[in-house]
Amino acid sequence: MHSGAASSRSLTWAVAGFVLLYAVLVALPHLISFSQKEILVFLMINVLLVVSYRLLTLTGEWSLGHVVIMGVGAYGSALYSKAVGIPVPLAMLLGACTAAAVAFVLSFPLFRMKGFYFLIGSFAAGEIIRLLWKRFREPFGGPKGLKLLPSFPDVQIGELTIAFFDPVTYYYLCLVVVSLSLLILYRLERSRVGLTFHAVHWQDRLAEAVGVNTWRYRTLAFVVASFFAGLAGALLAHYLTTINPNQFDVEQMVFVLIWVIVGGTATFYGPILGVVALTIVNEVVLRQMGVDQARPLIYGTILIATMLFLPSGLESLVPKLRTLFVRNTQKSTSAEARPGAELRTD
Amino acid sequence: MSSRFLGRRIGRRQFLGTTVAGAALAATAVPRISYAAKTVKIGFLAPLTGEVAAWGLPGLYGCQIWAEQINAAGGINIAGEPHMVELVSYDNEYAPDKARTGAQKLIHEDGVKFIMMLGGDTWPAVQPVANQARMLVSTLLPSDLSPDTPFLIAPCEVHPIYNVTGVQWLAENKPDLKTAVMCAQDDSLGRPSVATYLAAFEAAGITMQDDPLFFDLSTTDFAPVVTKLLSSNPQILCLDTAYADYVHPIVEQAFLQGYKGQIISCTADFYEQLIDKTSKEFMEGFIFQFPDFDDAALNDPRVNFSDPNGFYTEYSKRWPGEWGAVSWEYASILDLWKAGVEASNSVDPAKVLAGMKAGGKGKHAFGEATWWGKDLFGIDNALVGDWPVVVIENGKAQIKEFKSIPAWWEKNGKTLIKHFEAMGEMYYQRG
Amino acid sequence: MVELILQTVVNAVYAASFMALIAVGLVLIFGVMGVINFAHGELYMLGAYTVVYLYADNELPFYLAVVVSLILLGLLGAVMERGLFRPMRGNPLGGLIVSIGLLLILQALVTMGFGVRMEHVPSPYQVPIALFGLESVSIPAQRLILIVAAVVLLGGLWIFLRRTRLGWAMRACAQDPEAAALQGISINQTARLAMCIGAALAGVAGALTAPLVRTFPYMGHSVIVAAFIVIIVGGIGSLEGAIIAAILYAFVHTFVTTFVDGVIADIVGLVLMMLVLVIRPTGLFGTKERA
Repeated sequence: MHSGAASSRSLTWAVAGFVLLYAVLVALPHLISFSQKEILVFLMINVLLVVSYRLLTLTGEWSLGHVVIMGVGAYGSALYSKAVGIPVPLAMLLGACTAAAVAFVLSFPLFRMKGFYFLIGSFAAGEIIRLLWKRFREPFGGPKGLKLLPSFPDVQIGELTIAFFDPVTYYYLCLVVVSLSLLILYRLERSRVGLTFHAVHWQDRLAEAVGVNTWRYRTLAFVVASFFAGLAGALLAHYLTTINPNQFDVEQMVFVLIWVIVGGTATFYGPILGVVALTIVNEVVLRQMGVDQARPLIYGTILIATMLFLPSGLESLVPKLRTLFVRNTQKSTSAEARPGAELRTD
Repeated sequence: MSSRFLGRRIGRRQFLGTTVAGAALAATAVPRISYAAKTVKIGFLAPLTGEVAAWGLPGLYGCQIWAEQINAAGGINIAGEPHMVELVSYDNEYAPDKARTGAQKLIHEDGVKFIMMLGGDTWPAVQPVANQARMLVSTLLPSDLSPDTPFLIAPCEVHPIYNVTGVQWLAENKPDLKTAVMCAQDDSLGRPSVATYLAAFEAAGITMQDDPLFFDLSTTDFAPVVTKLLSSNPQILCLDTAYADYVHPIVEQAFLQGYKGQIISCTADFYEQLIDKTSKEFMEGFIFQFPDFDDAALNDPRVNFSDPNGFYTEYSKRWPGEWGAVSWEYASILDLWKAGVEASNSVDPAKVLAGMKAGGKGKHAFGEATWWGKDLFGIDNALVGDWPVVVIENGKAQIKEFKSIPAWWEKNGKTLIKHFEAMGEMYYQRG
Repeated sequence: MVELILQTVVNAVYAASFMALIAVGLVLIFGVMGVINFAHGELYMLGAYTVVYLYADNELPFYLAVVVSLILLGLLGAVMERGLFRPMRGNPLGGLIVSIGLLLILQALVTMGFGVRMEHVPSPYQVPIALFGLESVSIPAQRLILIVAAVVLLGGLWIFLRRTRLGWAMRACAQDPEAAALQGISINQTARLAMCIGAALAGVAGALTAPLVRTFPYMGHSVIVAAFIVIIVGGIGSLEGAIIAAILYAFVHTFVTTFVDGVIADIVGLVLMMLVLVIRPTGLFGTKERA
């Protein structure tokens, strides 16, 4: 009875928290400047990208090809809509499926490697795909890429036209798509499948001993993560209406790594913290300062400082904040052991 | 054994500390405005950091000098009122998403009346934003032009078309050189330029001994490339529009591997250093397209750049060692913009554009020029006229002749279109 | 045709020497410290800029500039180990991030101090030396110097690792840090030494090639990618493997560039790496897995 009341109370808090969060997210674009609205759209897309990356890391694999997979989704969606004429929303989904399919094919050579080798192997696979885009003007557009891509079609509701060219409208579209995707990813992680991912990561010999096909679970994580990365790519392609191979190169991948590691991977929201905090730092704060030449310098220093002083990532700040909050508002009763607490899927 | 160090490079280095402060100061692109006056803002949206920064940052420096000179002389007169010029820069890191964000900021938050860009990969992302706002935008790459974007102009750099002038001069003055090879970096600057040079060589009756050799942008060791190029014993070695940073190692390799023939290139930034690395005799007769701005020939009345020699001196004083082709081009575009503003007596982008294009002619840096381009780009938004052919003689770059691009086009336009199509560079083939 | 092939061989030997210096440094750091030093290309770049500053701008003798770059980069390596990588020991991802942070800082500092444009470093030993008695097959003395330096330095390193106590200690650390610690080997000291040597090798490579290549703040980027390919093909833990893989990679890349295309050469290099990873993941000479 005691724990039931407490957990329903924490449930109310959680629901209230989400409602508040979404209220803020919905209101946000109207409170910021024009260019910041643009940054917000790209930020939404990157949130999906980093959370999808985290799914992959749950099985213990760190890939250096994730951004290229995003590119596969982008190029796929672009070509389906522009060259074949499929309507954009469907093309986006097909692009994401293509990314997942490519990941599936790549899993055969790549999952023979582990750890560092998988890292470099995924990098090599990604670079080969990128070089294919650069080399073949038909159909990929070569080094200049593709442009004049169709954008998300305007929606007519009676008198009202919703134009997706506008960053605010596109942001809401991304908000819906990304929220749904995050929900799916979260549920997946909490499910039995997700628990098996953890097992494959931490105890793969043991998992195999009880009959778990680790290869199959690794592949599943890889394919699902790639689907959502591809979806993020498709969202990007139809907003910018142009894509080129340089947008998906190692530099971008390094940024994803930075966001994920600085944010932390122990919790679901860790990478989100990372990408939000660092994007605000790099695009908003540092640009305001007007010292473009020194921006990489300051960014690099922040990275080093964060790693030295917060080695577990930004997410490690959250429990500290929470204990502060909890101590101030209510006396904490006996510590409740939540199932799976040691996995910290929070 | 040790090389000569030319006077130009003495005093080039400043210690790190003062340079950091200086760079920070220089990066905030606001010229000093000493009294409250009406201002007109101009946006500079180009890569200021990263590998492509050499095509953007030196241009910003040049524009800063231009803005200061104009403001010191009282600003621009618009409808009877003097307006001070204020530059607002945004580093787009040569990335389409940052370019789009920057365009939104410049147009809607900073209220600029004109945006200067490098173009290339970043233009297509800015295109919808600029179109919707009907903002006048300039690019250095005419290959960005298309019928869909009437507000995009290429008023200065007519890359790669101007390269035909060098080949034409070569054919007229050294008619016994009949065979050529070419190399180029594999990117959106290299390819259309290859098509142009191929057309120019064909029009001049010069045979290509081999297919153009493309190399990757990340190449640092050019020995294998040059070995391949020289293996057919060509009389002419063409470096296409290799970035200046590639020209140096390639030319040096050619020297070391015993090449004795003619070299033609689009750029030759820091050619004094090339002479250092090779020899005066080796570099004698090197043909390229970018004059030194302390060349007396630029004081010719046909040149529409105010005080080129003074500009060059000031630039080299403030940013020693950073002068390149791009340093003056953006400033020259500003000259044209200013002329358009004064002609239309307004800063409204549409009116300024009309003012710039009035009569179908414009005052290009190198002389009176025509608004041209329908056949290659689908729209007459490139300002094309004469372009100088520069040859190194006795260790110094000399303008030998101003050649007319439209005249070449009259005779050989079809050849150029043929090669452009073969490379897939026509505007209707892109993307 | 024969001359073309011979000249290409000469070019390839040079490329192999250069690659070996970089790859061996990287392998040493990874082998002993378990850290992927993303900033390794920037150490190479700093070596080149040391020569720019001392030799090109301040007209000190070239060999002095090279020696200074060796010492300077060695010191920087020690600082990096103490300040960045030691706190990150046991946290390879953290180590990755701090090395990326350092990469950004170094690039920005050099850009601010020297500008974004390419540097001019005159070559002190430019004279081409004809080989095999053929006029058309030659190598500039400057490149020959790099080949000689690579052989001397790497040979010296080999002797150090095989014949001295410190060298044995390093190899022990690379094989099994815990056992090494139990034996009384100071991990800190060994790591610092490995970092010093690795950085110094990269710095010397940069210093010697500054007159030969495009010297600009982002020159480390292409080097690091090729270096990773080489150490994967050679095998992570193996220094000999790194050298042999450097030779293999350099020859393949140089020949393909000369006879086909520069871009195809890059693709071939990557495919080679993929093949090795798929068929023999520990590399051609790797003996242990360090995941």
